[in-house]
Amino acid sequence: MSANQVTLLILLFPAAGAILLAVGGRRLPRIGTAIVGPGVVWASFVATLVLFSNQVKGDFTYWTWIKSGTFQVPFNLLVDNLSIFMCLVITGVGGLIVSYSVGYMEHEDDPSYARFFTYMDVFIFSMLLLVLAGNFVFLIIGWALVGLSSYLLIGFWYQRRSAVLAARKAFVMNTIGDVGMILGAFVLFMTYHQTTFAGVFAAATNWCPPNAMCTLVFHSDSAVLELAAFLLLVGAVAKSAQIPLHTWLPDAMEGPTPVSALIHAATMVTAGIYLIGRMHPIYDVAVYAHNAVAIIGAVTALFAATIAIVQTDIKRVLAYSTMSQIGYMFLAVGIGAYAAAFFHLLAHAFFKALLFMAAGNVIHAMHDEQDMRKYGGLFRQLPRTGGAFLIGSLALVGVIPLVGFFSKEQILGAAFSKGDPLALSVWVIGAVTALITGFYTGRMWWMSFAGKPAPERPVEHPHEAPPVMLVPVLILAALSVVAGFIQTRALGFGPSVVSDYLASAVGHMTWEENSGAVIVGLITMVLSTALFFAAYRFYVERSWKAWSANAPWAQRMLERKYYFDEMYDAAFVRPMDAVASWGARDVEGPVLDGLVVGTGNAAVAAARSLSLTQSGYFRNYVLVFVGGAVVAAVLLLIRVA
Amino acid sequence: MSGMTLGGSQIDASWFLILSAILFTLGAAGVLVRRNPLVILICIELMLNAVNLTLVTFSRQLQDLEGQLFTLMSITVAAAEAVVGLAILVDIFRTRDVEDVDELSEMKG
Repeated sequence: MSANQVTLLILLFPAAGAILLAVGGRRLPRIGTAIVGPGVVWASFVATLVLFSNQVKGDFTYWTWIKSGTFQVPFNLLVDNLSIFMCLVITGVGGLIVSYSVGYMEHEDDPSYARFFTYMDVFIFSMLLLVLAGNFVFLIIGWALVGLSSYLLIGFWYQRRSAVLAARKAFVMNTIGDVGMILGAFVLFMTYHQTTFAGVFAAATNWCPPNAMCTLVFHSDSAVLELAAFLLLVGAVAKSAQIPLHTWLPDAMEGPTPVSALIHAATMVTAGIYLIGRMHPIYDVAVYAHNAVAIIGAVTALFAATIAIVQTDIKRVLAYSTMSQIGYMFLAVGIGAYAAAFFHLLAHAFFKALLFMAAGNVIHAMHDEQDMRKYGGLFRQLPRTGGAFLIGSLALVGVIPLVGFFSKEQILGAAFSKGDPLALSVWVIGAVTALITGFYTGRMWWMSFAGKPAPERPVEHPHEAPPVMLVPVLILAALSVVAGFIQTRALGFGPSVVSDYLASAVGHMTWEENSGAVIVGLITMVLSTALFFAAYRFYVERSWKAWSANAPWAQRMLERKYYFDEMYDAAFVRPMDAVASWGARDVEGPVLDGLVVGTGNAAVAAARSLSLTQSGYFRNYVLVFVGGAVVAAVLLLIRVA
Repeated sequence: MSGMTLGGSQIDASWFLILSAILFTLGAAGVLVRRNPLVILICIELMLNAVNLTLVTFSRQLQDLEGQLFTLMSITVAAAEAVVGLAILVDIFRTRDVEDVDELSEMKG
């Protein structure tokens, strides 16, 4: 089997699974659904491994989809180390999460069970299409399809009003991003008349196709590239829930927990990072847009971390934490440390999927209670889940030797040692965020697992999750522990497997890390770990006075999430509502209905008056006929005479 | 050529046309005023034959056979029309006893 067929197989497995479950899911026995759903994801994983182990690279064109003048859209898949890397994350972590869902969704009835796995496979397919697409058209198709599957899965429990509203919000926000993406692709097409990445990059920048030698060319059309880069950034910001298009992600936690783990932590929300990494030849030239990426990332990282301090819903803490961590990745790609961003993407996929699934186990054990204030003292009763959760939390805080330390500190180290003012300021923000991360993570873990059980806890003696839900969690916990050792650059020595692997796709960092970065990184780690433990004093022992007692206004502001929802409500939703209700009241009825009904009434009236001539009497008709003939004859005679 | 020979005497063509006009007018008046469907049908035949007479007259007058050929055609069509018309009438009489076409006015708007 040739490489391009294997590449196609990666896509076809989940597509086939989705179709099978959609068509036959109701007739399939439950065990069949539970095998097909995750099975096709693992099949894709194996196919990806085949490409990975054979070090396949190439731009495979399968057929020409649209051909019209200069507008040509081939169906081509771009296989390079970046897309293989993303496919490994999607199918590997995705496979674990979909397997976990077999247990988590156990309580659903059969049609819903099949529907869930259908959506999951649709999502995996769409996400793989997104990262494998070799041209803008299929990138956008994948981009829109992941938005659709996210919508379907957030609104999975469609009987719940809040879930439907959250799904709609996510869809609207993502559509804003899609419009940005499409406009960006338009700009590039209008300028270079190319739809493939290779074509655009070759025409626009000094990009090299894989395995080729290139000379550095400077292009003067960077105004166009700035515009395109900013428009693409809109798409990335919406998909990755960065400020200002972030409000959908916390609400998206209405979906089932595996969905939060897969789509809203490990894969889909990192599509923005992938996009900017994939478009790095453009961003390397479009300096302003590139700087904007870093600023947006840094601001979001800090902003989301502060909100996470006051959230009480365990999944919402994780959601804000996800926004914050993706902010780090934006920061990294924004300063040009692409490989560091993707290493953090990998690390984050491990530990955040772990945290979400462990949280899912807790929620399951607590009979769907998500309020951390009603947990407490769970560690002794759920030792495995609690231990895995602790590993995930410490990885999130960034404690040696967990993977989060190496990935986060590499980003901060890169920012610290780059040396320009922008990089330095985003480093400051990133370091402060790291400290806050330690605090809110500690708060989350201590509140849930330490201390005495809360009096209003719904379950007195919770049960540990079944193996199908525990094993994926433990695998990810193990990965979170060991994965850091493949890239220990944050300590200034050791291997850099991920960076070396991705170098052919996203290039090397253009500056050296300096040794000071290691020291400040370690200081950051110590401080954030200290804050992790300080949270114990605040929230369990309560021996330290709550910080919010001194600044109730700050707590209120954070609980309202900096009033973003309120602002959007006032700026967009309510004006639109006003326009819509005005239209319904004053335009729809009087004008539109009036026009339609009036036309009908006029026609009826005209017909009624004309129908008087149709008396039904034969004589009348003949008389009219004869009279007409006489008149015609007279006219003829007059003309002749 | 203002007249034509008929039985040895010359008769002016306009007399034929006047006769035709009288017949046509009678037919038309009959269609308009009579109510018996059968009589109406006969009156229509009368109008048709008046027109045939005109055609033959002009054919002779202009020494052109086309007019007579057209008359033959017209007679054929008239026969067919009479068949259809009578068939419809028979059908109507079968379902109800109609003596007045005004009774057949359901199709008014």
